[in-house]
Amino acid sequence: MNCAEFQRVLPDIIGGGRSAEQEGHLTSCSACSGLVSDLNTISQQARLLQASEEPSPRVWSSIQVALQQVQSDLDLIAEQAWSLQASEEPSPRVWNSIEIALRQEGLIRQPQRDPVLAPRSWGWTRAWLMPVAAAFLVAFSLIIYQRVPNRTALSAQPGSTPNFLAGLPPVMTPGTSEDDQLLETVASRAPAMRATYAANLESVNDYIRDAEESVKSDPNDEEAQQYLMAAYEQKAMVYEMALDRSLP
Amino acid sequence: MTDAKKPQGDRLSEAEAIERAKQGEAESFEVLYHLHKRRVYSLCLRMTANTAEAEDLTQEAFLQLFRKIATFRGESAFSTWLHRMAVNVVLMHLRKKGLPVVPLEDTIESEEEAPRKELGAPDAQLAGSVDRLQLERAIANLPPGYRSVFVLHDVEGYEHNEIAAMVGCSIGNSKSQLHKARMKLRELLKTSRAEKAGRP
Repeated sequence: MNCAEFQRVLPDIIGGGRSAEQEGHLTSCSACSGLVSDLNTISQQARLLQASEEPSPRVWSSIQVALQQVQSDLDLIAEQAWSLQASEEPSPRVWNSIEIALRQEGLIRQPQRDPVLAPRSWGWTRAWLMPVAAAFLVAFSLIIYQRVPNRTALSAQPGSTPNFLAGLPPVMTPGTSEDDQLLETVASRAPAMRATYAANLESVNDYIRDAEESVKSDPNDEEAQQYLMAAYEQKAMVYEMALDRSLP
Repeated sequence: MTDAKKPQGDRLSEAEAIERAKQGEAESFEVLYHLHKRRVYSLCLRMTANTAEAEDLTQEAFLQLFRKIATFRGESAFSTWLHRMAVNVVLMHLRKKGLPVVPLEDTIESEEEAPRKELGAPDAQLAGSVDRLQLERAIANLPPGYRSVFVLHDVEGYEHNEIAAMVGCSIGNSKSQLHKARMKLRELLKTSRAEKAGRP
């Protein structure tokens, strides 16, 4: 083995594990043994440099300032975050959608009203709210209706709503051709959604029928009126969602 | 027991300081800083050869430590965890500066950077002693790629497989660059010694 061959393999063998031939060359060659000795000295001396230097005091000062800034920012964020608690109101559509889904899955039912416990003493005081709410729903439904292509055809159908809501558009009547028209609109623009909306409509129409029956049986029942209003709102919501989704 | 683990008078031990730092206690951060600042700063200084950069990187390494201390689970020694974090901070800094963390295996080295080949020639030796100050200066004069591998292996004591993973090269490349770094240092030290001897 000559010096060139030895120094070619030196990076791999300097830490130990030399062959007999390499050891032989190292013993006989002063240049290579001197080289190995120097490299080992450098390596050993280098280890003494670990942790040999002290940073200036301003390093810790800077770290302290940065930590205080972080803490101050965190305090500010925490303070602001607290004020965000319960600060936002979800749109009524959220609960309506939840309620429709729960009804579809049979997880909630129309509660059985106890005629003895049903509140009656305040019924007359709020009775005037019903026509006002009905008027609101009419306006709401008409706005939605303007987005349906064949609006005239839809509104031409007579409804079977209770007397006190006679002004409501026929769309609020369960199972009319307006529903079919809506489903056709959905199918033409998002065919995959038709079945979902058909189920939603069926569910909400059932809800309306139940509520209408309750109101018919006791027109002064405030709670029944509220259920009916909620049912109409849900149907309006179904229409709105269907038209939103199916519009291009 | 290392300095890092000794309780200092009524000051917190390292383990207590770690637990309290996880809760955000300011005093414990300072204890951890003083326990480990020399090792971290020395690493940063050797890797960058620049005191201002080393101080900035020391600060950055400790800030990262304090940000991430909640994730320290004690699976490795705290000092090992911290120093690995410091190495990563420095390597990231070198990459951002566009400096080679490690030279490519087949890079053609410049005449200035490559260690001189000394095959069988009569050779002045370092005679078994190296002046620490001279070694520090020689390391500072190494090309950045060589310097990183040399500092990580010979100063900090990382193994080639660890270095390869940290800097993103092969184990063979790490060995090769370490050897070249040592050869270059030897050359620089001999030159320095010769210059010193030649002075009146």
